[in-house]
Amino acid sequence: MNPLPLAEFAPAGSLPQPTCHTPPMNAPTSPPPDAATAIGAWWNHFWFLPAEALLLAKVRWLAGGLALLLWWSYGPDLITWFGPQGLVSPEVSSQWRPTYGLSLWDATAAPAGIWTLYASGALALLALTIGFGTPVTAVLAALFFASLLHRGPMLAGPADDVTALILWCLAIGRSGDALSVDSFLAARAGRPAQPPGVRNRIGLSLLRVHASVLAAAAALAQLKGDVWWDGSAAWWLAARADLWMTNLAPLLANAEYLTNLLTHGVTLFEIIFALGVWIGPVRRSVAGAGLVAWPLIGLLAGEPFWGAAMAIMALACLAEE
Amino acid sequence: MGKGKNGGDAPGIRMFSQAPQRPTGDGLAPPAASPTEITRGVVTILLALYLVGLLLCVAGNSASGSSALVRTTKARLFSPWMVPLWLDLAYDTRLTYGTPDDANHFLELRPWNAPASATGATLRLPAPGMRGERAARWRRLARALVVGQDDSDREGLLPAAVAEGLFASLGAEDLSLRVLRTIPPDRDVASAGGRGTVEQAYACRVRRVAGEVQLLPLPPAAEVAPLVAGDAAMSPVPRSK
Repeated sequence: MNPLPLAEFAPAGSLPQPTCHTPPMNAPTSPPPDAATAIGAWWNHFWFLPAEALLLAKVRWLAGGLALLLWWSYGPDLITWFGPQGLVSPEVSSQWRPTYGLSLWDATAAPAGIWTLYASGALALLALTIGFGTPVTAVLAALFFASLLHRGPMLAGPADDVTALILWCLAIGRSGDALSVDSFLAARAGRPAQPPGVRNRIGLSLLRVHASVLAAAAALAQLKGDVWWDGSAAWWLAARADLWMTNLAPLLANAEYLTNLLTHGVTLFEIIFALGVWIGPVRRSVAGAGLVAWPLIGLLAGEPFWGAAMAIMALACLAEE
Repeated sequence: MGKGKNGGDAPGIRMFSQAPQRPTGDGLAPPAASPTEITRGVVTILLALYLVGLLLCVAGNSASGSSALVRTTKARLFSPWMVPLWLDLAYDTRLTYGTPDDANHFLELRPWNAPASATGATLRLPAPGMRGERAARWRRLARALVVGQDDSDREGLLPAAVAEGLFASLGAEDLSLRVLRTIPPDRDVASAGGRGTVEQAYACRVRRVAGEVQLLPLPPAAEVAPLVAGDAAMSPVPRSK
């Protein structure tokens, strides 16, 4: 696709003022903008309109915290799984993951090496979260996170998948330009704050694309199951979920209509979210609803971290345009 | 390049590049140089490439299958760089289909021939009381043992590795390994006071003989116990790990 000029993003006053001009009746009129031009203009607007770093910085704080929690969940069993006598030996792992799967942990099975890599990854995630050395630590954090998931692919869940996506989007943007140690140090050194940047826009737009795709794919996957059509899926989720989080099973066992309502509500919300984040007038409302709805769906499904990760995606959809 | 419609020497994108390089009045650094046409073209190509890969992932990784063309295209052109970054995902988070496959799975290991009542010699993973994402990872591992039996390349590999890794913990090199799952009752059964069941999804015997680990699959068993109340009360096996 041929990128188009960004005339619409020019600073105010830099554009020549239009003059009233009535062409002669027999003068050739300029052709109306065709579809390709319109798509090109939309493409430029969507991907290359400079964006503030503030929203991406909020995503960084939340996603970094979530990634640290997921990282921590490996800690107590790290050696049991990946150690010298680990249940998930490198041979098992290599059989389980797809071709081209790589992990830093492939290089060592010694406890010292495993813990060193684990601690390094935790430091990278912590540095990303607080925004220290963000351009480097964002990439390192995403690499470490993907690497740990590859070491034991059968241990990874939906929250890990979504978090990995968010971390890569953060690695593209300049989230360290706001709410970060980096920006604090820059201000102390007297350097001016960073202006809106195109990389921030690309990061935010990628998050929106993924949020929509995730919601659409989830809805489509659910519609392949009978329980999402007959309205009983909420019961199966509640009956399975960990008791310590939410125990809706006793409530839903005696409430058929509520069960149906929750089931169809989840699917309907996913469809509305997948489409709504592309419709200008309702985009921010839909994204705002996602901040509440995704965590609730996550709790119902017994996947609270997945719900939180989806809510972080929804937050990115609140970006100004 | 001709005169741009905005009065500059180039089309609109050049305007940001020509912004004055001095701090602005509101404390912001001067506007960063906007990407050139060439840069935006390259980024556009990369984005388009990634979006095609994303589309193929959604189409090709679906549990319902996809065409050989989609799978081959993705595997040859996109997987080599998307897989290492953990971007080659299925995206189809179904949450549940209400099938036994979606039930909570757990591992139970004990020395071979140890009576089921010998609770001290039995290891259950995730251990009772273990919650949250840590327990979820153990449940995924248990489920993977069952799912892996459908794949001839993986069959028996994970159960043998799991049992071998727990020889020392259980003090025996001849173990019974079972994957059990808690099947919730239908909602109307639950409303009438019915309870769920625990079902055996996979069982095998793993032993080390003359330094070699042997796996002996056991025939499938039916329902093994009623679900008494909640997950923790389902099995009286104490945590021994």
